[in-house]
Amino acid sequence: MAERTLISPAQLSRTRGKVLYWTVLAVVVVGFTLVFLGPLYWMVTNGLKSTEEFARVPPTLVPHSVHTANYTAAWKVMDLAKLLFNTLYYAFGALAFQLVLDVGAAYSLSRLRPVLGKAVLGMMLATLMIPAAVLVVPQYLTVLDVPLIQRNLLNSPWVIWLPSVTNAFSIFLLKRFFDSIPQEILDAASIDGASALRTLRSVVLPMSRPVLGVVSIFAVVGVWKDFLWPMLTLPDPALQTLNVGIYSLSTGVPENHLIAALAMACAPTLLIFLVFQRNIMGGLTAGSLKG
Amino acid sequence: MRSSLLRNTAAALVCALAVTALAGCGTSSSGDGTSAQPSGGSADATTPLDPKAKVTLSIDCMPPAAKAAELKEWKEDVAEFNKRYPNVTIDGRSTPGQCLEPPRFTAMLKAKSQPDVFYAYFTDLQQVLDNDGAEDISAYVTPQSVPALDDIDKNVLGVLKRDGKLYGLPTSNYTMGLLVNRKLFQQAGLNPDTPPRTWEEVRAAAKRIAALGNGTAGYGEYSVENTGGWHYTAAMYGLGGDIVGADGKAAFNNPTGRQIAANLHAMRWEDDSMGKTQLLKWGDLQKQMASDKLGMFLAAPDDITYMVQQLGAKYENFGMGPLPGGAATLAGGNGYMIKKGSSSDKIKAAVAWLDFKTLAVGKGQFRYDRSKADGLPVGLPQPAFFTGASKAKDDELKAASATMPVANFKAFLDNPVPGKAEPQKAQEVYKILDKVMSGILTDKNADAAQLLAEAEKAVNQLLANR
Amino acid sequence: MPATAAEDFRRAFKRNLTAHGFLIGAVLCFSFFSWYPMVREFLLAFQKTEAGTTRWVGWDNFRHVFQDPGFWQAWRNTLLFTALALVLGFLLPFLVAVVLNEFRHAQGYLRLLVYLPVMMPPVASVLLFKYFYDPGYGLFNRALGVLHLPAQDWLQSGDTAMLSVVIASTWMNMGSATLIYLAALQGVPGELYEAAELDGAGLLRKIWHVTVPQTKLVLSLMLLMQIIATMQVFTEPFLLTGGAGPEGSTTTVVVLIYQYAFNFNQYGGAAALGLCLLVLLSGFSALYVRLSRDNES
Repeated sequence: MAERTLISPAQLSRTRGKVLYWTVLAVVVVGFTLVFLGPLYWMVTNGLKSTEEFARVPPTLVPHSVHTANYTAAWKVMDLAKLLFNTLYYAFGALAFQLVLDVGAAYSLSRLRPVLGKAVLGMMLATLMIPAAVLVVPQYLTVLDVPLIQRNLLNSPWVIWLPSVTNAFSIFLLKRFFDSIPQEILDAASIDGASALRTLRSVVLPMSRPVLGVVSIFAVVGVWKDFLWPMLTLPDPALQTLNVGIYSLSTGVPENHLIAALAMACAPTLLIFLVFQRNIMGGLTAGSLKG
Repeated sequence: MRSSLLRNTAAALVCALAVTALAGCGTSSSGDGTSAQPSGGSADATTPLDPKAKVTLSIDCMPPAAKAAELKEWKEDVAEFNKRYPNVTIDGRSTPGQCLEPPRFTAMLKAKSQPDVFYAYFTDLQQVLDNDGAEDISAYVTPQSVPALDDIDKNVLGVLKRDGKLYGLPTSNYTMGLLVNRKLFQQAGLNPDTPPRTWEEVRAAAKRIAALGNGTAGYGEYSVENTGGWHYTAAMYGLGGDIVGADGKAAFNNPTGRQIAANLHAMRWEDDSMGKTQLLKWGDLQKQMASDKLGMFLAAPDDITYMVQQLGAKYENFGMGPLPGGAATLAGGNGYMIKKGSSSDKIKAAVAWLDFKTLAVGKGQFRYDRSKADGLPVGLPQPAFFTGASKAKDDELKAASATMPVANFKAFLDNPVPGKAEPQKAQEVYKILDKVMSGILTDKNADAAQLLAEAEKAVNQLLANR
Repeated sequence: MPATAAEDFRRAFKRNLTAHGFLIGAVLCFSFFSWYPMVREFLLAFQKTEAGTTRWVGWDNFRHVFQDPGFWQAWRNTLLFTALALVLGFLLPFLVAVVLNEFRHAQGYLRLLVYLPVMMPPVASVLLFKYFYDPGYGLFNRALGVLHLPAQDWLQSGDTAMLSVVIASTWMNMGSATLIYLAALQGVPGELYEAAELDGAGLLRKIWHVTVPQTKLVLSLMLLMQIIATMQVFTEPFLLTGGAGPEGSTTTVVVLIYQYAFNFNQYGGAAALGLCLLVLLSGFSALYVRLSRDNES
């Protein structure tokens, strides 16, 4: 039996309680299925309709004739494979950068405590106060001509990867986790003569799997969902992300092809999600809660 | 102890180096091109491109995969061009949908991330020059490099010139007219060979087409992403009005401007002949018309190519008449410019390619026999920038392979309407006018006079802010 | 073993060298892509660039932005969006979580359903809603028709456009909030409900006097996060209504920033507008940081 919740078990075990419980459950299950799976059903089936049937008023619930050619045409015309590949490339690149640089920074701030470390941490956390949307314009002007190194980062993956490192929230999460590691364990390692890097690698990181998981999910999902920044900084159609690519293409193809493309664009992550649902949902909730 | 210090430091520094080193080595190539070589002096500009010179040209607006036929032709043309210039590599970049989206184009200019040869609307020249984005190619464009040069309409070349210097070559130009769906006209008992000529006739025809039911709209109009303002401008021109007057101030808040607004409002709300879906942008009306859900909208003839090639429509289904009112029509177009700072060889190669692909009678985009074979509509009245002997030759070739029934355009061709250029700061002005259009089309109680007055104020502020 | 001063210094130096080595990568990224742009935002707001030359213009950009009739409209729109998103995007997930928490069956399935949209590419979800809202072949008016309810204008009318944007946005995002509330509800001790029942409390009073106070911290954190996020909404109105909507009724502040910068090429105006947003939101952000620090202790 699960824990005691709002409604008392006594109430639930009465006939009236049982009827009510099952009615509400049925309504919610049917309602949620309609609300959350309905659109997906609509997407898959409308991608199969002919152009004429798609535009029919009132719309048909089940396609009268099935046009799988829409899917093949959309896949080819919109070059979805490339868009997907680009997005994953940016997402996992950003993940790698964040894991290396943010973990290094958090470890240093938490355990090595350098001079001015507190000030640096404070300045990093201060960026949490600046709404991301406000920074888009000056950030954009900055990547056009990065000061000192005088580089234009437009149309290169760096424009996604490097700014993704400035994730103060992840650093904060990591630092707090590292703070909680008992000093004795680290002392034991340093008596063995392990360098800071070795301690990090063989003692700290293996203990930090949960928080690393959370940070990783944030990193990947962040790139996966972003729209405005990649739209501005990756103007070359061959380099675009899935979100931007779909947006650009939405005017250039018939509606039923576009919907077929949407269905295919959603498929990979939905599948990944179904497989790893426990980890993903758990990780995101844990991370946000503690924030 | 000492070695551990070293090892520690070295290992930790990897973090640091990661950023600096990576940022230093592999970055976007767009920055490199500019600093490579200054443009060659005009002394050697007239000598033809040395076939041995190795040049790579990045160029945008290559047809995307969705334009299968045009993409195939592009590739064929590159191959043929490379027979003559084997050392020129054409690095095409395709953009789905429209080649140019104003906000992203503005950002691109600002970032100087445009390819070597970049697509631009005629109205973009000022913006390009403000950002120092294009090379002066006057010296490179000669009757030797562009044989048809003297037959290209001087007015068209003129829009790509500033202070006597040429900054681009045209690929297409258009004047707007009224695009009609012939099938729906016939179904509604209207004669598709005589499309409406006035707004009263448009309104009457729209009403009859909308009466067909099944979600059919008689007349369609845009209202977002600058296209609403663009069409409002065209409608103004048709009635002899203007958007920006000679005094450099807004000139649309007047009886003509209000008349257009009132007419659209009546069609949308009294007759309900414009469909319920509004807030449309370029591409949306084409989809409606291609699926026979829309009777008429203002368009340039090349929309037909778009509908045939990308939306699977049949070209016989479309026809065109002149812009309602017929006092003038919005004339626009697009072309290619060459990025500021390109080497002299690059400019020569670019001019050679543009000449071959877009400006030579019987070649590139004007190879009508091939277009016919590839299923593209042939016989559209535009682009129309040739004059004289070139025009005669082009017309002859076009007629020989025409697939579009000439009668479908008879009304458009027989009633030529003088073209009128777009207003200054066109895209910004259009953005402001979008709001007028969306107001009229989505709000039954819209106060057109107030919308126009607000837009007038905003446009005047924009123009004064020069 | 007493260490000499030199030894101490050497050790401290070594420790600092290592520590800064670990730190510097992130610091460089922050410098280039966060701190410098922050400074630049302030500079831009007081500058104007014309034909390649930049000059100081004092408060001109602000004055110009304040005179723009679109400015106040954008604020009204943004506040409307935020208010509607609070009702839908804040309350709804909480209610859903409360209901789901009672279920002994199908809870996993329902949780999964609510979370599905969060994993879809946002552009795909938004475009999907654009089709649903279509007054012709759209799904929503069809559904209303089946239920014998009057058809709505959805995005097509200034009165309902923003609400429609909020509905789409809620569908896309409510999954995460729901899961967070569910987790928080599981931490409410059952004895409290029992005690409340002994006092004769009904369902609503139990929610009000037990559930809400027990999850207060999470609720207030989520409320602030929601306000901060919704005030910056861009993707949904930009894609659903071309960023304008009927008579500009869905132009939000961030959409206006985008238009200033990229439609009108006025980076100064965009920066001035951004600073206004910053000032307003920094109050909420400060509150958020304070609350989460309380959460810590």
